[in-house]
Amino acid sequence: MTRQERTAWGFVLPVLAIILFVFALPTVLALALSVTDYSIYALADWGALRFVGLGNFTDLLTTPLFWRALGNTALFALLGVPMAIGTSLAAALLLHDASVRWKPLWRVLLFAPYVTSVVATAVVWRFLLNTRFGLLNRALGWIGVPPVDWLGDPHASIPAILLFVTWKIFGYNMIVFTAALAAVPHDLMEAARLDGASRWTRFRHVTLPAIGPTLLLAAVMSVAGFLQIFAEPYVMTLGGPAQSTTTVLYFMFDEGFKWWNLGQASAVAFILFLMILALTLVQARIGRRYEWL
Amino acid sequence: MTGGGKLAGAAAWSRRSVVAALSMAAAGGCAVQNMRDPISLWAMSYEGDYSPMLMPAFTRATGLPVEVQTLPWTAAHEKLLTARAGDSLPDVFMLPDGWVGEFALIGALAPVTDSALLTGLFPGVSAATGPNGQPYAVPWSVAPQVQYYRRDLLERAGYAAPPEDWDSWRRMGQRLKARAPDDYAFLMLLNWWDTLFTFAGQTGARPLRERDTRGNFRDPRFRDALAFYVSLFRERLAPPALSTEVQDPVAAFAQGYFAVYPYGPTLTLDLHRRAAELPPALWSTARMPGPEGPGQVSGIAASLCVSARSRRPAAAWALVRHLTSPASELTYQRLIGTLPARAAAWDTPQLRQPALAAFAEQMRDPTREPMIVEWERIRIEVQLIAERVVRGQLGIDAALVAMDDRVDRLLAKRRALVETGQLA
Repeated sequence: MTRQERTAWGFVLPVLAIILFVFALPTVLALALSVTDYSIYALADWGALRFVGLGNFTDLLTTPLFWRALGNTALFALLGVPMAIGTSLAAALLLHDASVRWKPLWRVLLFAPYVTSVVATAVVWRFLLNTRFGLLNRALGWIGVPPVDWLGDPHASIPAILLFVTWKIFGYNMIVFTAALAAVPHDLMEAARLDGASRWTRFRHVTLPAIGPTLLLAAVMSVAGFLQIFAEPYVMTLGGPAQSTTTVLYFMFDEGFKWWNLGQASAVAFILFLMILALTLVQARIGRRYEWL
Repeated sequence: MTGGGKLAGAAAWSRRSVVAALSMAAAGGCAVQNMRDPISLWAMSYEGDYSPMLMPAFTRATGLPVEVQTLPWTAAHEKLLTARAGDSLPDVFMLPDGWVGEFALIGALAPVTDSALLTGLFPGVSAATGPNGQPYAVPWSVAPQVQYYRRDLLERAGYAAPPEDWDSWRRMGQRLKARAPDDYAFLMLLNWWDTLFTFAGQTGARPLRERDTRGNFRDPRFRDALAFYVSLFRERLAPPALSTEVQDPVAAFAQGYFAVYPYGPTLTLDLHRRAAELPPALWSTARMPGPEGPGQVSGIAASLCVSARSRRPAAAWALVRHLTSPASELTYQRLIGTLPARAAAWDTPQLRQPALAAFAEQMRDPTREPMIVEWERIRIEVQLIAERVVRGQLGIDAALVAMDDRVDRLLAKRRALVETGQLA
């Protein structure tokens, strides 16, 4: 080993050790837990612990609430990712226009929700979404739409929470897109304009390829984020009404920390991990095809 | 009062132990430090918020400072469990009776050895026990469910007080609804199990069978209770709302959004605080209606427990003795409306207010609930299925089957342990 290599290891080892202890080791332990029936009885007496093999996984497949939680999470991701990224991109494009004044002010205002506390803003949003005196329903009333029971109707609860989540998080990707848009070659844009390309064509063939890698990054992060959505349903609806906002992570939290079925909860965590990994691989493959990676 | 003498005795004991530690150990300074270390107490909601007001008297008598932390009810169970797993439970903590069996099973609680703590309780109140039948908790306050009703609204519908049997009660609801079609007669939040289990308790239905290892929800009596509960929503006498939707029930009660609200005694504190919105003359309390008349209801009785790993058990028990003394319980009744568990406290004029009469009567008729680890979860999951019936996603009979299925699954581990004799 050369001196240079030794120095390199000296720098890398502390980080590797931390990763090993706070990431790799707990993951292996969680995997080990997922093949036991660790429950509150095991907390009382280790003698009650049994090895159950894949029992937790087969059990989950026959638990209706787990499937409902999977469905709810998929719905959150399917609707939420385009909604959040679309809003971010739209806001970034609007702010990118040369005619917009006071850009830093707008950026701060639009980014502000991202740094606020979920719980505090959720309380405000619960008032906004209130069926009887919420501002949202009042606004809908002006255009003649009957009141919507946003947080009490199992069909409206996911859209209601998505409104809140989108408002809360779009600022982050907006800033990322703003940075990416600044890197779009100006001369290319001018050339396209001179050639008579329409606004849409310029967006499709100049802007989009340039911000492609950023878009991919935002998509990967958003998908992983939405698949792990927990805090918003927890503070807005407690998973209700009729468990229509219970997500996979919410289910895992209840099983694991509320009822101490850590065996079962670890199995859920493992399934969620595989799901996120699979989706990220698919996204990476798509990215490679467009040469964004 | 015997409470004061016992307190002094406990303090002397701990002082003596400190002196002994001082003379024995070279690290005597540590023991003195421990003595100055506050005793920790965790309590939920108002009980936690107002506990510091009970402490000056205790600290004056014993020289022991107390540090109180409040837990919200919604996160209390997981917080206590993780504290037990991480061995960081406080010396003294509050538990609702339904959780005592569970925390005793996992070895979190020290058994109550001083029988004086468990004497002089209000008739019908008893200490929650662990799986071995030993008492592990000292009853602190009792909170049976009663109905709070708007006297003016009921009078306008032709009632001086709510009827006591289910059918007449529902008829009253229909009359109230007919007078104000945009408002409701009852408020029963759909994610809270208490009213459904009150109705079930009044029918005499036993929720579990076979030594509490299987669900018994297909019992016709439970079916009656569920059918009655659901009918109140189907007839739109109660709004199908969750606790997250009704942000301010007191304001809604004052506005007449609903006329009857089944709730525990702590609501009296909120109502007194906000007397400007709803004057005391406009509301009163009554026992919950039963199929043929009032019966057993559900409620959250609170007890105090001492951690099995407390480093200063004597001081911890002294604190429990202080908090559950009649004087402290009366102070608490005045401050936050909780009802004393000690019989002696009930002999005072403070508890002869008419609004408390319904509670006193109801307390003599408590429910006996299964003292098993899974009970808290069973109630919540049964209520989730009941919610789906209310929302029309499930029929009543299908729901009863679903409840039994779900509960049998939740009890699978317990069943296995009972069968092999590992659990009594």
